[in-house]
Parts: sequence; C-alpha cells; structure tokens
Amino acid sequence: MDVSRRKFIQISGAAAAGVAVSHLGFDLRPVKAHAQMLKTQYAKETTTICCYCGVGCGAIVHTSRRGDGRVINIEGDPEHVINRGALCSKGSALKQLTENTNRLTEPMYRAPGAKEWKQVSWDWALDQIARRVKETRDANFELKNEKGQTVNRTTAIASVGSAAMDNEECWLYQALLRAMGLVYVEHQARI
Amino acid sequence: MTNHWIDLKNADVILIMGSNAAENHPISFKWVTEAQKNGATLINVDPRFTRTSSKADIYASLRSGTDIAFLGGMIKYILDNKLYHEEYMLNYTNASFIVGKGFGFKDGLFTGYDEKKRGYDQSQWAFEMDDKGVPKKDPTLKNPRCVLNLLKKHYERYTTKLVSSVTGTPEADLLKVYKAYGATGKPDKAATIMYAMGWTQHTVGVQNIRSMCMIQLLLGNMGVAGGGVNALRGESNVQGSTDHGLLFHILPGYLPTPSASIPSLAVYNEKNTPKSNDPRSANWWQNRPKYVVSLLKSYFGDKATAENEFGYGWLPKLDDGKAYSWLDIFDTMYNGKIRGFFSWGQNPACSGANSNKTRQAMAKLDWMVNVNLFDNETGSFWRGPGMNPAEIKTEVFMLPACVSVEKEGSISNSGRWMQWRYEGPKPMGNSRPDGDIILELGLRLKELYAGGGAFPDAILNLKWDYLTNHKYDPHKVAKEINGYWLVDKKIGDVTYKAGSLVAPGFALLQADGSTSCGNWVYCGSYTDKGNMSARRGQEDAPNNIGLYPTFAWAWPVNRRIIYNRASCDPKGQPYNPNRWVVKWDAEGKKWVGDVPDGPWPPPQNPDGSPNEAGRYAFIMTKEGFGQIYGPGLKDGPFPEHYEPLECPIEKNLVNGQRMSPVAPVYGTDADAHMTCDPRFPYVGTTYRVSEHWQSGLMTRPQPWLLELQPQMFVEMSEELAAMRGIKNGERVLVASARGEVKCTAIVTKRFKPFKIGGAVIHEVGIPWHFGWRWPESGEEESANLLTPSTGDPNTRIPESKAFMVNVTKL
Amino acid sequence: MAKAFFIDTTLCTACRACQVACKQWHDLPAEETKNLGTHQNPPDLSFNTYKLVRMNEKVIDGQLRWLFFPEQCRHCIEAPCLEALGDPGAIYQDPDTGAILYTRQTRQADADAIIESCPYHIPRKGPDGSVSKCDMCNDRVHNGLLPACVQACPTGAMNFGERDAMLEMANKRLEVVKAKYPQALLLDPDTVSVIYLVAFPPENYHEFAIASREPSGVTRHMALRKMVRPFAAALSHLG
Repeated sequence: MDVSRRKFIQISGAAAAGVAVSHLGFDLRPVKAHAQMLKTQYAKETTTICCYCGVGCGAIVHTSRRGDGRVINIEGDPEHVINRGALCSKGSALKQLTENTNRLTEPMYRAPGAKEWKQVSWDWALDQIARRVKETRDANFELKNEKGQTVNRTTAIASVGSAAMDNEECWLYQALLRAMGLVYVEHQARI
Repeated sequence: MTNHWIDLKNADVILIMGSNAAENHPISFKWVTEAQKNGATLINVDPRFTRTSSKADIYASLRSGTDIAFLGGMIKYILDNKLYHEEYMLNYTNASFIVGKGFGFKDGLFTGYDEKKRGYDQSQWAFEMDDKGVPKKDPTLKNPRCVLNLLKKHYERYTTKLVSSVTGTPEADLLKVYKAYGATGKPDKAATIMYAMGWTQHTVGVQNIRSMCMIQLLLGNMGVAGGGVNALRGESNVQGSTDHGLLFHILPGYLPTPSASIPSLAVYNEKNTPKSNDPRSANWWQNRPKYVVSLLKSYFGDKATAENEFGYGWLPKLDDGKAYSWLDIFDTMYNGKIRGFFSWGQNPACSGANSNKTRQAMAKLDWMVNVNLFDNETGSFWRGPGMNPAEIKTEVFMLPACVSVEKEGSISNSGRWMQWRYEGPKPMGNSRPDGDIILELGLRLKELYAGGGAFPDAILNLKWDYLTNHKYDPHKVAKEINGYWLVDKKIGDVTYKAGSLVAPGFALLQADGSTSCGNWVYCGSYTDKGNMSARRGQEDAPNNIGLYPTFAWAWPVNRRIIYNRASCDPKGQPYNPNRWVVKWDAEGKKWVGDVPDGPWPPPQNPDGSPNEAGRYAFIMTKEGFGQIYGPGLKDGPFPEHYEPLECPIEKNLVNGQRMSPVAPVYGTDADAHMTCDPRFPYVGTTYRVSEHWQSGLMTRPQPWLLELQPQMFVEMSEELAAMRGIKNGERVLVASARGEVKCTAIVTKRFKPFKIGGAVIHEVGIPWHFGWRWPESGEEESANLLTPSTGDPNTRIPESKAFMVNVTKL
Repeated sequence: MAKAFFIDTTLCTACRACQVACKQWHDLPAEETKNLGTHQNPPDLSFNTYKLVRMNEKVIDGQLRWLFFPEQCRHCIEAPCLEALGDPGAIYQDPDTGAILYTRQTRQADADAIIESCPYHIPRKGPDGSVSKCDMCNDRVHNGLLPACVQACPTGAMNFGERDAMLEMANKRLEVVKAKYPQALLLDPDTVSVIYLVAFPPENYHEFAIASREPSGVTRHMALRKMVRPFAAALSHLG
C-alpha cells in the first residue's frame, strides 16, 4: 500500500521554515517546536475503511511505532475517491472505538445461575464451545423431517451475525454453520 | 445500490424517502450537495423534518406506513400526465406484456387468495404465453390486459385527495413532489432514490420499494448515471454479509438454500434454473448450475465429486414453505425449542423487534456464545433489567473480537465496492479477529468429530485450509471466494492452468467440477494480477461520471452501474450524451465506458433493423425486461396500500383490507398488538441519529459520541406536548402493548400532527440506539422493547417503523 | 500569507464530524452531558470543546428552518483577546497563518479579561484558571494538512486556505446563495479569519454570530493594556 504520495494542500513557504517569530523579542521556542511537530510524524500509516455505515469511507490509521504500538490518530483519507478525507462524527471517533478501556480483552464465562462473569482462557472457552455444539448437535440432529425427506440438519442451534465481519470471515462462518447443519442462520440484513 | 455513492452527483432530482441520508449516511451528502450545486432538486419525504429535510428544496411529510399510497399517487400522476419515457418503457420494461386472465384485484385482494394459509396462489398472476412459451406483448399498448393498462386501472383510485387523506401530506406538497420527480421522464434527465430501513421495516416493505422501481422504470431512470434504485445499506459490510449468504434462504451468491423436497443436485438445478424460450433473453440465471457446483467445490474441495453430487447431500435442507428468519428464530427460542445460540458480532437483545420477547427467549437456552468488541445487552442478558440470574440456567461464553483496524480483510459497501483494509495496531489484549475464532472453532469440531458423532461427513469433509503460520489468512479465503481452476482446461484458444485463479470473471466458471468459486458474484476480485479490492487508482473512466474503475473493485465484474445497457437507445447510443454510461461502438463491435451488462450488441443495428445477436437489457430477469408488473412476490404483482399491523385508523381508506393479508403474525403471549386502542393512541416510529450506530454497541461505550447524544429521547410535536402537558427536556414514558421506555422529550416544530381521514393523528419518533449496558447509568433502554413481531411477507423484516404507543409524563 | 476559513452554513448538515474531529486531533476529553430537549450537545463551548455546531429551529417567513452554525474562534485579524492581554508569551498571532494562539503561559494570565474581551464569546476557562479555544490546528497547517474540522467536513461547508482565495470563494458562493436566500450575507468578513455565510439574519443562528455593533466590549482593564502594548502593530493586518 502506498500512501506516501498523498497530496495535501500546499501551504506556501510555511511548512519547511517553521515559525519565524524571534524578531518579536520573546521566546516562543516551545510553541514553535509544538507547531512544527505532528503527533503522527513517526507513526506507521495504514489505510482502512470505516466500520460503521455502508458508504465505505476511507481512513488513515496512525499507529505508534514505539511504546505500546497503539493508535495515535485516525482521520479521513484524502485519496479515497468517495469521501476525499471527510468522515462523519462516528468515523471521526474511530480512534476511541479502538483505544477504549470498555473493550472486551479476555474471554469470559458465565456459569448457569451465576451472578458474575469469570475470566477464562481461549483454549478452555473454545474447547467448551466445541463440546457444547457437539452435544447439542448430536442429541438433536435430524436426518429426516416429519415427511421423511432427507434434511441433514439441526434446528436446536441458531446463529445470528454478522454484517460487522469482513467478507472473508462471513464466508468462513457460513461455511462452518452449514457444515454444522444449521438452518437458523440469520444476521443484520434481515432486520 | 444499482448505482453507487459518487454517482449521486449525476442526478437531476434526488428523492430521499425512507432514509435520512444526511444523518445516517452523512458522507452521501458530499455527493448530494455536489448534485445540488450542479442544479439538482433535492426532495425529502419523511414523517419528521430532519437534518436531511433542512437541506431539501422540497420537503413533504407523511404518516409512517403510508409510502405506497404516496408513491401510488405518483404513479397515477405520471400516467395521467404521460410523463413516462415511452421508448424506454416499450423496449426495456414489461409494460407491453399481456397478463393472463387469472389476474384480478378486488376489495384489496388479488386473485388466488387463501385465507387459511394467509397466502396467494401466485400462478394466477402469470403472463399470457404465445405458442413458443414467450410472454405475449402488445407494442401498441392498446390491449386492456397489457401491463400498462392494468397499471392505470390499479392506480386510478390513488387520487391526490385520497392519498392526502391517508398519508396526511397536504395535497399541494404531493403535487410539488410528483411534478418535480415526474419531470425526469425526459430521456436526458435522471432521478435517483435513496432509501433505507424507512421503507423496508414494514409489513409492506418489499412493495414500498417495488413502487419506486416501477416509477424508475416508467421514467427510464434505471441503468443511467444519476438514476437507479439505491438502498443505503446501514452497516459497513451488510452488503458483503448478504452476498455471502449469512441468511437462512440463500447460499453465497444468491443461490437458494436447498429445501427438503429437493433431494439431489440434479433436481436442485432443474427447479432453480429459469428457462426462457425467447432466444433474445440473456436469462443470466441459466448459469446457476455452474455457480452451485463451483461453490460446492469451495466448500468440500477434493471430497466434492461428480459421483457424490459435489457434496450436495451434506448441505442442510429447509422444510418447504417454512421460514427460518430472525422473527422465527426468536419465536422458536421463546417456545423453548432452541438449545444453543451464537450471537456473533450482533446485539439481538436490542436490535431486533420486540426485545422483551428476545431477552426472555434467551433465558430458555442451554448455552450462548456472544462474540463482540464490548460486553453487551445480549451477552449480559441474564443480569439485565427484570432478570434474576439465579433462575437463569443459560451458560454464556463471551469472546473478545478485535476491532476492524486491528486485522486485515475486505468489506463491501452499499455501492457493491469491495474494499481491502489493513492491520494497524495488533489486536488489543487477548482479543482476536473473528476469522481466527471461526477457524479455530472449526478445527476443534473436526477434531471432535474425527472420533464420531451425528452425521460427521459434513464437518469432516469441509475444506478448512485457511491457516498460514497457524493463523487465519484472509488472503487465502479471498482467493477461495474468487475461485480457482482445479484442472487444466482449454476453452477456445486459452488453456487455464490448474491452481490458477479464475479471471476475469464468472463467465468462465464450470458446472463439471473443474472450477471452485466461493461466491460467483465475487469472481474476478482476486486474480493473478493481484487483490483487485486493494486498488487505489485515481483516474476516472472516459465518460467522466465518477466511476473510478481502478479504485477498489465492484461486483459484478467491476460493473459500477448495473443494467447500464438500458441507458442507451435500442441502437446502443446514450439517451444522455453528456452523462453517458456505456455506448456501442458499431465499428469496433464493442461497448465502451462502464463494464456493460454482457457483451452482446444492442437490440437494433445502426439502421434500426433488429439485431438477432442482441440481448434485452435486464439480463437477470427471465424475460429480460424490467418488471413493472411483478408476479413473483407473495403479496401481489402491483403494490397496494395496507395499514401497518398497528395503526391509528379502523379502516383502510384505499381498500377493504386493513392490513396486509399475507403478513406474518405471531401468537405467543409476548406478541400482543393493539390497533385503534385508546391506550395507545399515537403512531410511533424508530430511527437512527448521526452520532450513534445501530443498537449503539459500537458507539455507546464511546465518550465522544455519548457527549453528542447521551440519552434516549422521544421527539414530538408542540401540539402533542401541550396536550399531554409535557415540557421540552422532561423525562417521559413511551409505552406500547409490549413494553415501555423512559425518554427525554424533545418538543419540536419538526414534528407536526397529521390530518388522516378527517381526524388529527399524532406521531412520535424514538432512536433505537440505546440499551441498559451502556451508558453505565443503566437508565437508557432500547426502542425495540416497543416494536412488534410482525414483518414483510417476502423478507420477514420486522415492522419497526410504524406501531402504536402512548406517551405519559414521568 | 494569512489563512482563513470559509464556513458556508447553507451546506452544513450538522453531522458534527467537525466537533468530534477537533476533539480527536486535540485529544480532548468528552464532557458528561444530558439531553436537554435538543440535539445540540454539549450545550455550549467549553474548556474542552473548541468547536460546537449550534442548532436552532426557526420559522422564517412562514417556513420551518433548521439552522446549523459550526462555531469556533474567529481568529480575528486584530484580535481583542491578544490586545487585551498584551502578553505575547501568553497569546500571540502566528504571522504565517494568522492563527491566534494561546500558550501554556495563558495559565498565568487574567482569564476573565481574555474572556470579556472576545466579541464572539469564544474563550473558556478551565478548572485551573487557564483559558482555551480553537488553535486553527496550527500544527497541522504548518505541516500542510487541513485543520481537522475542515478535513472531516463532508459537504464543503468548512473550507480553509489562503485568505484571498477564501474571500473569493465566499463572495462567489454568496452570489449563488442569494438567488435562493435574498437575505444571505457574510459575517464580519473584513475583520475575522473565519468567515461565515448565513442565509438569514445572524441572530437566528446565535447571539454572538457577529461582533456586536457597538465597539467590542473593551473593558477598562483591557483598554489600559491596549495603551501600553508594545508590539501589536507589528502583527496587525496580516492579511
């Protein structure tokens, strides 16, 4: 991906020279330094497409190359032909979607009747889920329907989601659900 | 969208109805504004004056649930004033087709109605066929049973006076809209429609959109720059997730899900492949068997062979005539018949109609898997309002997915543009890409079933080789979706090598197992030339209408405006030379401009003689014509106004049926509905605001967005507020037969009472973005606690846009 | 060469991207708000809110109008706040862009004097007594980027560039808009670097949409300062 050729508006004479104010007779060095330095200057740049509505606006993600490697800035991509750098309020807040302390960062489990969540490992969670699928599927699998027609399915498990996934993930997910024999397969497009 | 976002700038008239583009698709207004700067007229029709209305040249209000009456009046106006584009109508639509004698309409019912089944026998609506099995046509349009004359008769009743009494729109406003929109029937004028859930979420959702399709066909606005029928899709990849068949009724690429009465692939192909007896109809779906076999090869790889019908038997089958839709899932779950449930990247506890029913249903599950970015009202349903955790036996696994900027992959926008995204930061904490989680779950299931279990073949034979260095590899899946040559094959002079990607597109796919393709409409998206969706070309096409053909990739085959051959006269020359989309180069014998809808020449030679090699413009319909008369829908070939399940009037003012005679109605104790009940006297509707998104889960945990829209609110007119003693900014209770929600009152001039059939009817509106989990006060709840479980008979989308409520001071 | 904004309120859809983009770039915290019976939020500018889209429902000549006014500091060509304070270490004007900038040293300054001096009622006091407002994204501008709010704007309501170019754009657009809205006008175009185009008389948008007709409320304190300012002339008439 090449975003280095992005053409930004040109500011005549100002960009390189910095702020020439020393003749004023007072010290603006901190201000000057601040004015010249962009917080995104040394960041890694990647492009993305906004995850909210269906317009498909392009955005640039600035990720810190140092420290925690987290997002410093996300703004509209001027080279994206649909939005030309613009975003809405949600798109403008993409950084806060990503760098958000409310996010889930660990698998959690709630046992029957429990009042609280318990943190669990991925390994344990996926193992348990696979077992639940198998138990439910095996106990409820229908080779034939009431009319005696071959159906090879289970109606005891349902799935909803997701228009929030990538195409490749959607494709994988539906393939797996159908191999599992699910017919209750739905998502956002229905509602 | 038949067209795409940038193309909005090419319109002479833009109608925004059933959507609120300025608020919910804000960047669309870049192009709407561009059109207005070029002199376009912006029309907005909405129950409430919105931020979209604030920019409109013409604003008209209407009562929620009366769009067909409004648009039926427009059809009548266009016909009465002969504003249609006659040449287009004759050449590209079924206006001249003769309908069989079985069709009729009386007292709000079409012929073939069965009250017990709440359904129609659609075969009664068929066209009259000639001896070759091709629909009969009358190009003089004199036959009283030709579509145009039946259309005139059907909409005779929709006078502006009657329409106004149903919709509440002042007659003068109706005429302003009809006149401005109808003026685009001229060959060099284009009008576009931008609609969204304001049209779909009704018991007559599909017919709302059909009404507009018919208007666009009458005016010659399909296939042209600045025209089309444009659904503004609400989620970044709801186009792609639909294309890839995450719905009960379709497999990837709009292939019908097999049903129990179709025991074999041969029968599947026989039943699902339309046959046209007209040699000039391209009838593109005749290729369906190639797409099905290629899909099965992607599903099951080498295990799919001609001998085992490419694994057709491993696919689950639906019972014929039974729906397995969203509403049906939660109805079945409520009745205790679903044991396990995946809620993956979705928040049904807030997002679907009748949320109380949904939440109660979840308490009857054995287990649930909830995959999301944030804890939500679904995963935590057991600790939500009114729930007693000790009594709820449902086990819940809550898995952290990473954010889109933390992974790689593609999404498809509303204009069908597939666009690639890259990984910026690594997934936060122990969150993971959905793809990783899906792959891992699949691997574990394969491991378990290797030791036996019910019907293990489908799981064991699933091709599941999408890992690179033990991690999910989106490029591998994207290539699988595009498709591969599986054997060396020579077609014409070209030999395609086994292992190479199928390119340029789906015309090469085979029904004999020599190609795989995960989704035929995406064939051509990832080829040996690279990942087409990652392209960033800045140059426009020679027609200079904003197609940007080398920026990203659009399905099908990078076509940016579909049905584009209908933008030309029958000789292949553009109706509007200033905004041409494609044109036929008679010397070079090819189309230039956008990727045309097929390579065939136009129907006429330059001298006007018919060209037998030509094909009709609407290649996806069996007959090849745009359907002004649509005999394939469950609720009739012409749209007709019916009131919503819950409405403020006892009688439909247009016909003898109050509500859609075929809309589904559910019968549990959670499905109460009230029409003309004094306890719920006001029309309620739901909508979105610019600052939140869908059920709000990806915006409510964000302080910056919560700052802009912190609380659940209800918008109401000054008149209603005065009547109910409600002051602006006060907390009030909005209640329906199914639930209640606390809201802050926004008393506004932007809502006005409607005059309906002589009575004054009030309407209020609420956003559906809230839920108890976020903001953390727990005080803001979901609008869907109020909405009913009913929906469109064709799509079963819930009727969230029109229901009855009461508003009281708290 | 000084820069200017041209804000065409007739194109504003109140999507409020500018409001969030400003917070995003400046890493400003959100305020805890309530719905007060309007979509406008926060209710006003604040120490942490430099940009605010004001929303007003008005019936003008019998027709309902929903008017949007994306408000921010006007970066006055001769800024009263700068003159009022008279401390170039605390408030100064960037000679390259014309941006009026508050620095860390405004913390020691007389916040009330700054606030009172502004005819547009823009600067706001923080909990520590310092004042803040829009800084024209001076860091972005010096690096060839548009201010965050302008970059985010989808409709062309927000524009930024050379002052001459912006004035030309504003005048051209005014002519077009007048055909539909005969009362349209530019607000204080000669004295500010943020030039608004409005379709209706400015009082419909906001009390302080234009500088009051009286000489801007120069306090006695400020006037004294003004008399002793040693260098203001050097910075005036940047345009």
